[in-house]
Amino acid sequence: MLKLTKQSAKAILFLQQLFILSAFGLLTIRNGQPDLMAAAMGGAVCLFNLLQYNILRTAFRHLDRFVLLAAQFLWSVGLIVMYRIRPEYAFRQGIFLIVSTFAAVIMMLIIRRSKDFGKWNWVFMALAVMLLGSTLVLSRAIGGAKNWIDIGPFSFQPSEFAKILFIMGSAYFLSTRDKLTSFIPYIAFTGICVLLLVAARELGTGLLLCGTFLVLFFAATGRTLLTMLGVGVFGAGAFASYHLFSHVQTRVNIWRDPWSSYNAEGYQIVQGLMALASGGLFGVGLGKGMPGVIPASHTDYIFSVIGEEFGILFAAIVIIFYLVFIVRGMLIALNAENIYDALLAFGCTCMLSLQGFIIIGGVIKLIPLTGITLPFISYGGSSLLSSMIQLGIIEGVALKNGKREEKELRMMGADVR
Amino acid sequence: MKNQQKFRRNMRFSMGFFIVLFVVLIAYMGYSVLKNGAAWYATPYNPRIANARENLHGGTIYDRNGIALAWSDGTTRKYHNVKEIRRACSHVVGDIHGKTVGAETVFAKYLYGLDTNVVTMMEQLLNGEETDGKGQNVTLTIDAKLSEYIYRNMKGRRGSVVVLNYKTGEILASVSILTFDPNTVADDELEDTTLLDRATMGRYAPGSIMKIITASAAVEHDLDLTYTCTGSDVIGGQSVTCTKVHGEQDLNTAFANSCNTYFARLSTELGGSVLKKQAEKFGFNQTFEYSDVTLYRSKFEVSSEQGDVAWAGIGQYNDLVTPMHAALIAATVANDGIMPEPTLLRAVDGTAPFRLKKDSRVLSPDAAARMRDMMAEVVQYGTGTSAAVKGEVVYGKTGTAEYTENGEIKNHSWFVGFMGEEHPYAVAVLFEGAGYGSAHAAPMAAEVFEYLLD
Repeated sequence: MLKLTKQSAKAILFLQQLFILSAFGLLTIRNGQPDLMAAAMGGAVCLFNLLQYNILRTAFRHLDRFVLLAAQFLWSVGLIVMYRIRPEYAFRQGIFLIVSTFAAVIMMLIIRRSKDFGKWNWVFMALAVMLLGSTLVLSRAIGGAKNWIDIGPFSFQPSEFAKILFIMGSAYFLSTRDKLTSFIPYIAFTGICVLLLVAARELGTGLLLCGTFLVLFFAATGRTLLTMLGVGVFGAGAFASYHLFSHVQTRVNIWRDPWSSYNAEGYQIVQGLMALASGGLFGVGLGKGMPGVIPASHTDYIFSVIGEEFGILFAAIVIIFYLVFIVRGMLIALNAENIYDALLAFGCTCMLSLQGFIIIGGVIKLIPLTGITLPFISYGGSSLLSSMIQLGIIEGVALKNGKREEKELRMMGADVR
Repeated sequence: MKNQQKFRRNMRFSMGFFIVLFVVLIAYMGYSVLKNGAAWYATPYNPRIANARENLHGGTIYDRNGIALAWSDGTTRKYHNVKEIRRACSHVVGDIHGKTVGAETVFAKYLYGLDTNVVTMMEQLLNGEETDGKGQNVTLTIDAKLSEYIYRNMKGRRGSVVVLNYKTGEILASVSILTFDPNTVADDELEDTTLLDRATMGRYAPGSIMKIITASAAVEHDLDLTYTCTGSDVIGGQSVTCTKVHGEQDLNTAFANSCNTYFARLSTELGGSVLKKQAEKFGFNQTFEYSDVTLYRSKFEVSSEQGDVAWAGIGQYNDLVTPMHAALIAATVANDGIMPEPTLLRAVDGTAPFRLKKDSRVLSPDAAARMRDMMAEVVQYGTGTSAAVKGEVVYGKTGTAEYTENGEIKNHSWFVGFMGEEHPYAVAVLFEGAGYGSAHAAPMAAEVFEYLLD
């Protein structure tokens, strides 16, 4: 069984590099004269993936290979599309990727050692609220949402990091409390976070936090009725904000009929749908689409570019890789020794998969569009760093599981290794 | 510590939930792109089409007999040199400025070679060919000469004439006035509604052509009412009048004479819900999902008022229909009760395109045969005698649909009809506000039938 796992992981790794090399190969010759930079970038991405995989696998014997491989595939697709849109995006994202890998490793080491953070969780929670609050005061607006803060030459999106602190706080509360009343501070904390996000017009992240909260609460407490009540409160809140805020109304209206305002509010959705339609099943081919006409084609709307140039069959494969990620992440959570660890891995998996669902669902017009990034694929340092930290948390829990299982096997007298 | 077992179970449940979410994502994406992709793509606002037009050598658009209607000379687009042919076909062919939706837009992916797949792309790459697609030639089902003939005979009267082959669904002519010249449309000063294709987007009260649907409901429900027409009748407090006193009528004679009071009674006997169901079988209130033509939705409503049901059954109240849909209704009766999918694309580079035809059965063959008998009588001795053609059995139904414009009561002149199986053509004629159907639309239909017989 273990051998089979290793074999298939190797096969996936191999196919992945084949895909990356052929894609960058296409980009190399797309303009008639060879673009050596594309070839170099392709080689670099391959090398990075192979090195990263082999080093991590050797350093951490109990690393979950498939979680890492799924993430590798996703960011490789992202880098290819970014290079195709504008090479500088890919270069910068590559640097973010290297930095984020270190962050993920550090997170893995921390999670592997610690039990839970005890009193520190209160600090985390306060920090989360401060991060979210700071956007209201210090931010500049991009695309209608006020969610960016500039510090010197860097700019970052505080909500991306508040998300992680939110998961850690959730895991702590939900694993240590049992009585209903003891959840009040946690519920209040969630409420404040969501309100701050809505105030900053970050509807997507607000939706994401609500969803993650409900799933975590349901799984940890098992109180179906209360969860349904939570869904009801969420529904009522959404309904109320639809009637209170014009920008929410606009979102819903352009979701129902983007074509009636194709030149104004509905422009992005319509362009995204046209891109998907022009791609069809097999895509128009890498480099042959028109991502230039889609706003935010390298960040929130990258999925429509994938659909246009690679086709919706490939887009479905991308979604399947998210599914692989979800299933492996959940299995790690199920395998965890204690509820705290399980909730950490479970929380991160929920957060990442819900995030993917919200933005892909928005692009294909299944649900109203709320702008958030596509985890691992979209351009953006804060987003990638946040996703990688969550990956680190999941892998950290996997390492812990592996160590424990090895110990158990050894106690049974089995020969390990 | 809490119950770990239960926690694990809940986590598994959540995992199932997420898997379902993502499967829904894939399914919805596939479904909506495959279903709506063509429509999403072929909009005048798609920058891909405009971009291709500026840079690529577009293909030629031919009519069914090989007459070139539009072609590219370099990157300028040329059209047929006879002005009447240009104007007769302009709504079908469309323009390249994104002002109308015609073949230029709907079939742009063929005309500008945007349809290349991975395999041909790889071949082009390996052979070092130019990777920019070259346009393919498109052959339409349209008959340019017939369209020109119709355009000339409409003599500038506002309205629309649609001719289709009721066996195959091929559209032979779809002429709409007001119309434009594709050569100069970008600069011309156009009257309002010039760019509206009345055949597919103009929605008019159907008037008595709606009686085809009401009568077919009566046939299918075995309801042959006998009724004496006294020229007017009061139903549910609303007065319904006829042009003259028809006396004792059965279904056939009432249909041939287009007796309003008879059909008003018949409608209330059948009831609003039966009528609505029948109309919806014929495509009213439905979104037409045809790949070649975009048809606006036709409307049929009833209320709980008997008077409204009576008016709806004779094609007034809130009833609306497009000329193309009216032609399809006639085609359904002609085609043994099956409504054919209207098609406009005959071939791409000489090969017929692959399509899953969306033909649908509306009436039983028996009911359709009965309706044909009734429609023949209309032309033999009823209101449609002016549509008769020597030596050929013509089937039809006239319509005179009342509407108000600026407080003035006017009538749309309608005729829908078809000929026998040797000449499987269905025709719909509409003249806006022209008057009686028998006086304007029916003679026009006769001219079209005569042309088709030659």
